[in-house]
Amino acid sequence: MSVSPAASREYPERAALRFVLNGRPVDVWAAPQETLLAVLRDTLGATEVKYGCGEGVCGTCTVLLDGAPINACLTLGVHAQGRTVTTVRGLASPAGATGAAADGMHPLQRAFVAHEAAQCGFCTPGMLLTAYAFLEKHPHPTRAEIRAALGGNLCRCTGYARIVDAVEACVRARPGREDVLRDP
Amino acid sequence: MYLPPFRYFAPQTLDEAIALLREHGDEAKLLAGGQSLLPLMMLGLARPGVLIDVNGIPGLDRIEAGGDDVRVGALVRHCAVETDPRLRARCPALADAAPLIGNIRVRHRGTVGGSLAHADPAAEVPLVATALGATIEVRGPDGARDIPAHEFFRGYLETALGPAEVVTALRLPAHGARMGHGLAELVRRSGDFAMVSACAVLGLDGAGRCTHAAVAMGGVGPSALRMRAAERLLVGQPPGDRALDEAADAVRDEVAPESDVHASAEYRRAMARVMARRALRAAAARAGGASPDAGPGAVRS
Amino acid sequence: MIPEPASGGVSPAAYRVIGKALPRFDVADKVRGTTQYAADWQLPGMLVGRVLRSIYPCARIRRLDVARARALPGVAAVLTAGDLPRNGVEEDPTGAGLLRFTTPVLADGVVRYQGEPVAIVAAATDAAARAALAAIEVEYEPLPGVHDAEAAARRGAERVHDGRDNVFVHWKLRRGDVETGFRGAAAVVERTYRTQRVDHAYLEPEAGVAWVEADGVVTVRASSQVVEHFRALAEILGLPHNRVRVIAPFLGGGFGGKEDMTAEPYVAALAWATGRPVRMVWDRAESLLARPKRHAFVMRYKTGAARDGSLVAQEISLLADAGPYPLLSPRVLFAALVTGAGPYCVPHVRIDARAVFTNNVPASAMRGFGAMQVTFAYEAQMDLLAAALGMSPAAIRERNFLRKGDRLPTGEAASTYVALPELLRRAQDALGEPSRPSGPGARVGRGIACNMQPYGRTVWFQDRASAWLGFEADGSLVIRAGVPDLGGGQAASLAQIAAEVLGVSVERIRVHVGDSALTPLTGGTFATRQLYMSGNAALCCARELRAGIAPVAASLLEAAEADLEFADDHAGVAGAPDRCVPLARVVAECARRGVPVSRLSTFQGERSAPPDLETGQGRTFPDYTYGCHAAEVEVDVETGATRLLKYVACHDVGRAINPQSVAGQIQGGAAMGIGQALGEEIALEAGVNLTTLFANYLMPVAPDLPDIQAIAVESGEGRGPFGARGIGEPPTGPPLAAIASAIADATGARPLELPITPERVFRALAERAGTNEGR
Repeated sequence: MSVSPAASREYPERAALRFVLNGRPVDVWAAPQETLLAVLRDTLGATEVKYGCGEGVCGTCTVLLDGAPINACLTLGVHAQGRTVTTVRGLASPAGATGAAADGMHPLQRAFVAHEAAQCGFCTPGMLLTAYAFLEKHPHPTRAEIRAALGGNLCRCTGYARIVDAVEACVRARPGREDVLRDP
Repeated sequence: MYLPPFRYFAPQTLDEAIALLREHGDEAKLLAGGQSLLPLMMLGLARPGVLIDVNGIPGLDRIEAGGDDVRVGALVRHCAVETDPRLRARCPALADAAPLIGNIRVRHRGTVGGSLAHADPAAEVPLVATALGATIEVRGPDGARDIPAHEFFRGYLETALGPAEVVTALRLPAHGARMGHGLAELVRRSGDFAMVSACAVLGLDGAGRCTHAAVAMGGVGPSALRMRAAERLLVGQPPGDRALDEAADAVRDEVAPESDVHASAEYRRAMARVMARRALRAAAARAGGASPDAGPGAVRS
Repeated sequence: MIPEPASGGVSPAAYRVIGKALPRFDVADKVRGTTQYAADWQLPGMLVGRVLRSIYPCARIRRLDVARARALPGVAAVLTAGDLPRNGVEEDPTGAGLLRFTTPVLADGVVRYQGEPVAIVAAATDAAARAALAAIEVEYEPLPGVHDAEAAARRGAERVHDGRDNVFVHWKLRRGDVETGFRGAAAVVERTYRTQRVDHAYLEPEAGVAWVEADGVVTVRASSQVVEHFRALAEILGLPHNRVRVIAPFLGGGFGGKEDMTAEPYVAALAWATGRPVRMVWDRAESLLARPKRHAFVMRYKTGAARDGSLVAQEISLLADAGPYPLLSPRVLFAALVTGAGPYCVPHVRIDARAVFTNNVPASAMRGFGAMQVTFAYEAQMDLLAAALGMSPAAIRERNFLRKGDRLPTGEAASTYVALPELLRRAQDALGEPSRPSGPGARVGRGIACNMQPYGRTVWFQDRASAWLGFEADGSLVIRAGVPDLGGGQAASLAQIAAEVLGVSVERIRVHVGDSALTPLTGGTFATRQLYMSGNAALCCARELRAGIAPVAASLLEAAEADLEFADDHAGVAGAPDRCVPLARVVAECARRGVPVSRLSTFQGERSAPPDLETGQGRTFPDYTYGCHAAEVEVDVETGATRLLKYVACHDVGRAINPQSVAGQIQGGAAMGIGQALGEEIALEAGVNLTTLFANYLMPVAPDLPDIQAIAVESGEGRGPFGARGIGEPPTGPPLAAIASAIADATGARPLELPITPERVFRALAERAGTNEGR
């Protein structure tokens, strides 16, 4: 049998992969077998993205792909080709714009500190990104809606109340009242 | 966080994907959203030698609303099902089911076609497709064909797809006037797969009697299943408490659940009755004119 | 009611830093994503380590051949038991001279639980490491094994270890004469309670990186609660103790699960064998499969009370499934023994607490440590007695609460204030008006539960902790302490304590923690001991340091030492705001005069011999933290599903160093107990683990929990710094009982077994349709 046209669609062992990470274009070599989580952690040193279960259940590997929260452990690196990826380190200036706050924090992050919404901190990056993406779409949620929105991110330390408190405080502080969070 | 080795293809057309499937046979798996396949691979429970990634194939990610049906492309993500206003207007059952799937991350990646092809007995898309008598559009080396949902799901993680066939769309009949749906799920924890799930659709005539009755159950058999005995009991009856109770009793007798770590077969059987009745009540209320906003889209226990 | 501060104490209002909800420095790093956890560490040339685990719960290893695996490309090392200088360290897990045992690092000839490490590999990539695992040839002869703890404890049972009884620890407590006691009872209730195996389920899986320094020191940077494991690692590698160093970075949760070693011996051995850095991160499935769990308990309780509700006697038998190795089981069972009768005065008590070997996954430390399982039983007994005597659950508890000075069943006195009456009242009040059922098939119920949980190690371990504090020339302060920070704010609290005494603002304090080579040893973060022990060490150190520099400050300010005040990075004169000098100035003057500006201090906890082994009479734990929780649930009678509507957790924390951190501990601990009450279970079938996924290990998610209301009462009477009590573990136990009682209140059927699944409630309701018993 002759080589089918489809066979030409096989990826090479490693291919150049370009995407925008936290506002900056990155170029890496990645094998198609590599998950986005592996590309981010091992190749790009973005260790703020955590491995927690590899099943898509815990949410510690949450990143935003074109603004939508996804499981980096269940997404191939090649799926980020040409797209934007945001980790918690990009939250303070997701578009990569200069002029991030002096403390390098988004108001949500500031609220997490003020409310001690992190204990061990391992779920925190994923929790923050989930909350951020949720608030982008639902700027005025109720407390119950916040709880539901965080339902896919496990936390073992806090019992969640503080996390909901922090997100709620951020909602109440909006808009233009981010100063509220600077001085709790 | 590391996958076992595999060869990776990214076809740009359906024909290429089908050709690759023919070429690699059993060794190959299609990759769409990856939210079921990749965890299985991560855990070593699936080891396909070849992955054929269909995400780059254009045209499969559209929701098309016709006069009396809705066509949901195989690559439409669950979150799009959740939010598309045309789909919600014509097929509220699927729109209501979508937010029950996994978590927000799974819904952003997972696809309708992937969920159908994976055929998990407790999954929401197969359940609703079965209850609505939907049609699964597939394409293979011999061209396209339609498979009715009740023939598509063959058993545990098993479908009627031929060796080189690909799901291309899910076609759902639009809700008619005096029709209503109900969804009920029993979960151990929010966001988890249901232990038992039920989807009911009732249609009423002018006298308030059921002209159409469909009940599908998930989690209580090898795949989502239609409850024919219960449906027969309902047709021609007004959907009062007694008729719905009898139908629910029939569901309990018709299901064949198994035990697992979360629930015994016996308990699942008892809960099939409870979930069926809750789904039927919601369907009857909606069909009888209760505003769809009167209660939650889906009852979750 | 709550006592005034002891004479010479400072009233809480006078503290400037203690008691303030200051933001934690580590949280700021964590929300930015800059904290470097164990798995985030990377070194040039680093290899990937992996473990080959037994697929059988019990089997003889007939053949183990690693030759093919060693020959694979990219494989740097494949090690089995015989390749280690010592395959384990002989220990006395009782600490009381009752047992000698060596737990193998790698299985040697026999595997005793599913997931037991058999071999370890180091390879260039994860794929190469997995290929090496697959290439190791193991021939097993599967054996039936012992999987039922009660059967294993019977005479003549099949043995897990040749030549050893399956029951390897049996603690006894005898006080008074229970027969006499029961003769005076108006009501006696007798029940058997069962709690399940649960997992710590920290979000950070076990991980570590090891490397060999230029001077030959094997260094392990691992997610560990105990840097003192360097000694055991040195023994395993045949090295002097001072040639192994353990660094514990900030942990992604521990909860007792990283108290025994996890990845440490494996990465250390692989780095030692290859001379290259090795990183090992366990899959979630490995963690759920094979890490030690919380013990499943079977608890037989017989409790009698007089007509007025006074407890007269309690006879208790506790049996814990330890799995095949002792690990920390003897200590877990000892905590269960001492607290088994609950926070009540009982004149006649007889308790037997035993741990038994099985071929199930090992059990060891987990937050609550034996003292939490018994809460489920002793609190249910109180409710049952109340019902039998026509009393309210609150009234029978109030009748029997321990008070300061009362004798515990061990014969020792409760030595600090017991705030239980206040805790009970506040917990009940906070629950507010009863909720209305949401529908016709819904029933609402309420329950309360009180508990006592020790903090600090048993006194015969002669516990101590050290801390080093030193000023820098700019007046900033450095703290060094070997504390592993699990996420509870262990490091930040030391800064807050030092800030109070020395007047340095917390922002100007740097805390270095968790390094066995560079920070003074404090002992591990477990047993709710870290604030008590290292907090006291930091407090002593800060006071001594202040005493050392005070004369210098006094002379600079031309004031009496007694009038000095250290605050806001200055030394000043009380009542004279303009008379002050920056601390940097005091430090410079100290340097000029040769006065030391740093200090190492050690806090020595109480020391005593083990109690009498036949009666359990003697000194045991330093002190206890008391609590009362209240729960309101709604049960769907059609499905048996329980929804938690309200939850209040109230504890006397002595003094809250940081009230926000304290409340966080209470909420998180309660959430963990709630998970155990309603959902979580590591399920085994003949030793085979059925729950190795987060998808089927059902820990709570946000929508399933109400806002847990934490109430911290401050009696000021703890043994920690400023009168603090430990609060890490105490909140985990009461949810088991409070929720069970609430469900019993709603349904009339009392749960005797955890978790209280919808199916169990459904069955209980169905059974109760025929009988009115069981409440």
